[in-house]
Amino acid sequence: MRDTMALVLSGGGGERLSVLTAERAVSAVPFGGKYRIIDFVLSNLCHSGAEHVGVITQHAPISLHDHIGAGRPWDLDRRSGGVMVLQPYLTRSSAGWYRGTADSIAQNWDVISDRRPARILVLSGDQVYRMDYRALLETHLERRAAVTMAVTPVPPEQRRRFGMVTFGPDGRVRSLVEKPETAATPFASIGIYLFETEVFGEWLRGHPVNLVLDVLRPMLEGGVRMIAHEFDGYWEDVGTVGSYYRASLELVSAEPRFQLADQRWPILTRDEERPPVLMREGARVEDSLIANGCRVAGTVRSSVLFPGVHVGSGAEIVESVVMSDVVVEPGARVDRAILDKYVRVGQGAVVGHGDIAGGRESEWLEGLTLVGKDAVIPAGARAGRSVVIGVGGGPTDFEAGEITAGTVVPNRSWFGVAR
Amino acid sequence: MRTPGFAFVLAGGVGSRLCLLGERRAKPAVPFAGKYRIIDFTLSNCVNSGIYDIGVLTQYRPTSLNRHIGTGRPWDLDRSRGGIQILQPALGSVESDWYKGTADAIYQNLIHLRRRRAEQVLVLSGDHVYKMDYNILYEFHLASGAGCTVAVTEVPEESVHSFGILETNGNGRVVGFQEKPKHSRSRLASMGVYLFDRASLIRWLTEDAALPDSSHDFGKDLLPRLVARGEAVFAYRFPDYWQDVGTLDSYYESNLAFLSDAPPLDLADSDWVIHTQSADRPPVRIERGGITERSLIANGCRIAGEVVRSVLFPGVTVARGATVRDSIVMQDTTIGRGASLDRAIVDKQAHVGEAAKVGFGQELTPNRACPQHLSSGISLIGKGAMLPPGLRVGRNARIGASVSEADFDGDVPAGGVINGPDAMH
Repeated sequence: MRDTMALVLSGGGGERLSVLTAERAVSAVPFGGKYRIIDFVLSNLCHSGAEHVGVITQHAPISLHDHIGAGRPWDLDRRSGGVMVLQPYLTRSSAGWYRGTADSIAQNWDVISDRRPARILVLSGDQVYRMDYRALLETHLERRAAVTMAVTPVPPEQRRRFGMVTFGPDGRVRSLVEKPETAATPFASIGIYLFETEVFGEWLRGHPVNLVLDVLRPMLEGGVRMIAHEFDGYWEDVGTVGSYYRASLELVSAEPRFQLADQRWPILTRDEERPPVLMREGARVEDSLIANGCRVAGTVRSSVLFPGVHVGSGAEIVESVVMSDVVVEPGARVDRAILDKYVRVGQGAVVGHGDIAGGRESEWLEGLTLVGKDAVIPAGARAGRSVVIGVGGGPTDFEAGEITAGTVVPNRSWFGVAR
Repeated sequence: MRTPGFAFVLAGGVGSRLCLLGERRAKPAVPFAGKYRIIDFTLSNCVNSGIYDIGVLTQYRPTSLNRHIGTGRPWDLDRSRGGIQILQPALGSVESDWYKGTADAIYQNLIHLRRRRAEQVLVLSGDHVYKMDYNILYEFHLASGAGCTVAVTEVPEESVHSFGILETNGNGRVVGFQEKPKHSRSRLASMGVYLFDRASLIRWLTEDAALPDSSHDFGKDLLPRLVARGEAVFAYRFPDYWQDVGTLDSYYESNLAFLSDAPPLDLADSDWVIHTQSADRPPVRIERGGITERSLIANGCRIAGEVVRSVLFPGVTVARGATVRDSIVMQDTTIGRGASLDRAIVDKQAHVGEAAKVGFGQELTPNRACPQHLSSGISLIGKGAMLPPGLRVGRNARIGASVSEADFDGDVPAGGVINGPDAMH
């Protein structure tokens, strides 16, 4: 891996995870009780022996910068190489903002080629999996590929979400169809590509925007030697609210497909120093992940609690994801909800109240209630299902005492202005 | 901000009264409160007080401490200037010998002051649990014009015999110093926290080193001698929690004190973080049927059984049907299905077999090998010990480190001892 440079595409954000990505990139969204989504890829890189890593980002990068820092947790704080965060910048001749995945790489081509990598590994920062990239590299070298892409079988009903790949018995890719209505193959490309730098550089000329449409497809049509590498481990794209929620809850099921605990391949993260979990009198916790720094005096079932969550006595958290430093006051109830950091749920308040409702426009929420960072749910207030409460939402949004199913409350900046 | 420039931390302590827990590690390396080592409190006090230049003096079984401290990362002590240095006795320094006492240990390392500009030097013990801003001590030291300031705390009358006890006059000047007296009018105990003027420290240590009948110990000779001849030694009264976890009973009680709703120290204080070496472990996983109440449980634990009034260090597994009550269980120990612990301290990487019972029955015969330290009903299981399924271990029993299933021939009665392959006593 020494002469391979990895590029982690972490630019995406915006609407995909609703309020969770209002102020951070998807890859910086907390996952699994103490991690950020990007930790899975960075840990894979660390354990695969990668030395050169670029993280390409543009949407709300503060949280990502904070998290990655100099790259210590992944041993990427190196004298030569190591990790760098690649933000768009202006030059006399170039435009600045990244127009797409391929463009974001092309705009950083100078910085990348300064490291003189023989190969470039392109990864996505919003996926959860364990993979030894050295196996991918082995396939690549063995088959003398110009491009190697990782593929994994997906069930028929999901094939419309992916780029589907057909390949011959020698692994040579024959076709690559984006999001087909019907697919002739169970194999989906999972956004993991290894390129020979020289070949890649040539195809990045001419201002491509999208990596699949403007680079990979033309490469295939142009007869570039492209090889599929089969991967059959756990792999999940958690870039939508539904998939994020399901992957989180699967971690607390009886037999999760993905084990966070694996001493041979630990998931590394920037750990905060917090005391052990304190289970107080009256704590009733089952089927849950509870991170250090939590203090629990109430009931927690089938939920994921990030560091420093306080659960008051008689409070109840069910089938929910609760991020760092949230306070759930005595007697409050949180049911099928995702609560971002620093949210406060007042005494006796209910988040996720009543029946699943809401029109077609809130279908994507799958009945979940989403509460943005710093929001305060006043004591006794109720938020229904399929509700989104924006970042910094507060008492003024609850003047009626209740936010009914299907409502979206806009974000506020930390100094109170609605956006 | 003005701070003392350099701190020596004495970490050579032999925790002999901690029985098995101190057998293979120095006392400062003994695990505490679910994820820390005792020395973490002193090191965190240093960095939280702005002191980033520290020498740690070790001697007794330093491996565990060396591994824990490493390059000093968790405390931000991996620095290009200053940082943390482990000072192990070496040949060819001054007297080229093992440290004879605490004063001798500092004397042999005076060379570390040569290139440092620190005008005041802290000498700390790595054995105690407390949160203290050393700048307050420093201000007091400068204001009183002391050559040496000793931090003191009030202890109950019945425990003066285990501390250095100081007598002071009205303005805090020390007029008497007795090491471990049977009785004393004063109840002010030395906390093992000293601030010296650099020049005085060098002069006094050099003088002490030349005295043939000195035991070269701060508490035993040096400080009593300084006080007796009227040197400017002052006592700073520390008002907050300070705990010497010297005995097994005090170790047990002070760990469990952190389970109360009003713990003696706020471990979650974000303005005074207690830093430690934490391995990357996932959050605690509580499975179906798990019961957890009034307990401290660290990341990496998996609980399918019952845990009540207990402290669990990282990576402990409690299998279905197992119960852990009033116990302390250290890193990566596994408690098998249906097993039970009652008032037990289980060291790292041990395994309690299925349906085994530790802390069994009501009989309180003191431990055969350790009667003075192991008599209050606690059972002690050493590091890496393997307890066979169905085994019953009575109270005050001691199972040595690395004991294997084959070392048992039947149950262990109250006060019983099973020695490991390399027992020290």
